[in-house]
Amino acid sequence: MNAPLPGSAGPGTAPAVGIAAMLGRPYRNLRLEWSSDLRLLRARLAVRPIQCYSLAALRELQLMLDDIAANPGQVRHFVLSSDVPKVFNFGGDLSLFVLLVRAGDVQSLQLYGRKCVDLVWWMENAAELGIHTTALVQGDTLGGGLESVLPFHKVIFERSAQAGFPEVLFNLFPGMGAWDFTIRKAGYAVASEMVLSGRLYSAEEMHTRRIVDVVAEDGEGEKVLDAVLREVDPRHRGTLAALRTRRMAAPVRYEDLIAIVEQWAQSALELTDRDLRLMERLARAQARKVGGADEGAVEELKRMELEHAWGDRRSGADRRAVSLTDRRQAPREPQP
Amino acid sequence: MSDIPNAMLPFFAELVTETDEDRRGFETHPKVVAAVAEGMSLERYRALLLELYHVVWHFNPVCAAAASRLDDRFQAIRRFLYEHMHEEAGHEDWVLNDLEAIGVPSAASRAHAPRADTLALNGYNHWAADRRHPCSVLGMLYALEVIASVYGGPFANAIRESLLLDGDRGVSFIDSHATMDAQHMAELRQVLNLVTDGSAQAAVIESVRVNFHHFTRIVEAV
Repeated sequence: MNAPLPGSAGPGTAPAVGIAAMLGRPYRNLRLEWSSDLRLLRARLAVRPIQCYSLAALRELQLMLDDIAANPGQVRHFVLSSDVPKVFNFGGDLSLFVLLVRAGDVQSLQLYGRKCVDLVWWMENAAELGIHTTALVQGDTLGGGLESVLPFHKVIFERSAQAGFPEVLFNLFPGMGAWDFTIRKAGYAVASEMVLSGRLYSAEEMHTRRIVDVVAEDGEGEKVLDAVLREVDPRHRGTLAALRTRRMAAPVRYEDLIAIVEQWAQSALELTDRDLRLMERLARAQARKVGGADEGAVEELKRMELEHAWGDRRSGADRRAVSLTDRRQAPREPQP
Repeated sequence: MSDIPNAMLPFFAELVTETDEDRRGFETHPKVVAAVAEGMSLERYRALLLELYHVVWHFNPVCAAAASRLDDRFQAIRRFLYEHMHEEAGHEDWVLNDLEAIGVPSAASRAHAPRADTLALNGYNHWAADRRHPCSVLGMLYALEVIASVYGGPFANAIRESLLLDGDRGVSFIDSHATMDAQHMAELRQVLNLVTDGSAQAAVIESVRVNFHHFTRIVEAV
């Protein structure tokens, strides 16, 4: 399998030529800003009401990245952050996952995963395009949301932001780069701990584990970002040369990322009704927070962690749900 | 690049992708977000079930109209509809039972005049099966089964908690369809992948969009 080269625009959409054309795209989930002094492109993601990687958001992000790649030399710095207060990204679109799992649609799950991998692969290749990348995380980021920041050259977290890979709590695993990029940044033991525990980590804990490069005080993220960019900018060429060779020293292969996505999609199909109900519980907590409740997905995950630790997940409704025959496994074939 | 042209995707995958924003338009409507998260007042839940009764009542007549117009190129879909109608027969009575459980007598439910949004949903589905393309009925099935299987379970739980209902009392239709339609989704995917005709595919996509749109308006209005 050949890894895609960054810069090949997707079918059906011609790349924008020049910064003005890039900024002029009518995005619904993205807000772009350009700073000419640093040749800095900032993208702020806002998928409302629940900040996640919906199909439309993935499409817009890919279009933006294709535009950047189609205009070589224009962008020196790229920064991704969130326009949603206290949330960076909740990761995958849980309702879409539930739909596809219930439909037994492995192809669409794989397609979704490959779209996510293409985004992280673009970031992995950004140094080859002459672009230094920074993620500014000012709120909680879960699962695919955390995976999406791992390939950035610099990762800044504000102190109260929390992150983790909760997938194991509903019998899944993070399949879009978590293993490869966490192992490269923090080592095998940390990757295993984070993926297999499903627990949430504070910004400080992530910093201790070398997942996060800089911890900023709450509300200071923008100031720290500016300092980071101004520190890198005079050393831009040398920094990128070093980052390119870092990839040679510790390579991440596209083929491996895709192979993991395929395993992830197959594993998703094996989720039981009980697992899906946990996923729905998380989605409902996200919705509650949007509706103004004090507690949301992060608090719900902490409850799930506790239940997991105390081993009472099979009580009550869960036990009833698990006893239901999972009829998804053997749908009858319609007669042609 | 993984941007596989839609023409190479099985139709179900194309349908999911093409109509994802319509699904999210339903899912992210503030009234739907609030209903799934916090449930509803008794008054609003009664109003919703009264509208739902008329949607469910028309489900099999729409399927029958479509089945009667599907020629032998679509034989597998026609047979799928026969079986589906058999499974769904009488389910409008489940809605009546739930209405009874929350204090609405059957006679009052039957006499309820549906709102314009409900008439628009049913009217479109009858018209599309008759005049657009009989395969459009698969779009109605897809939208309603996504709503039931993805959002029905959390919604039933939220209603149970907010109205302090015991077990399935008052939520039997929504809760049972949340489970049943998981099976239906897997079957529907296989049937949709048999639709290769371009005009039939376009009719299904349009139908999904219209059904999500009208169903959102129904929830919004109650």
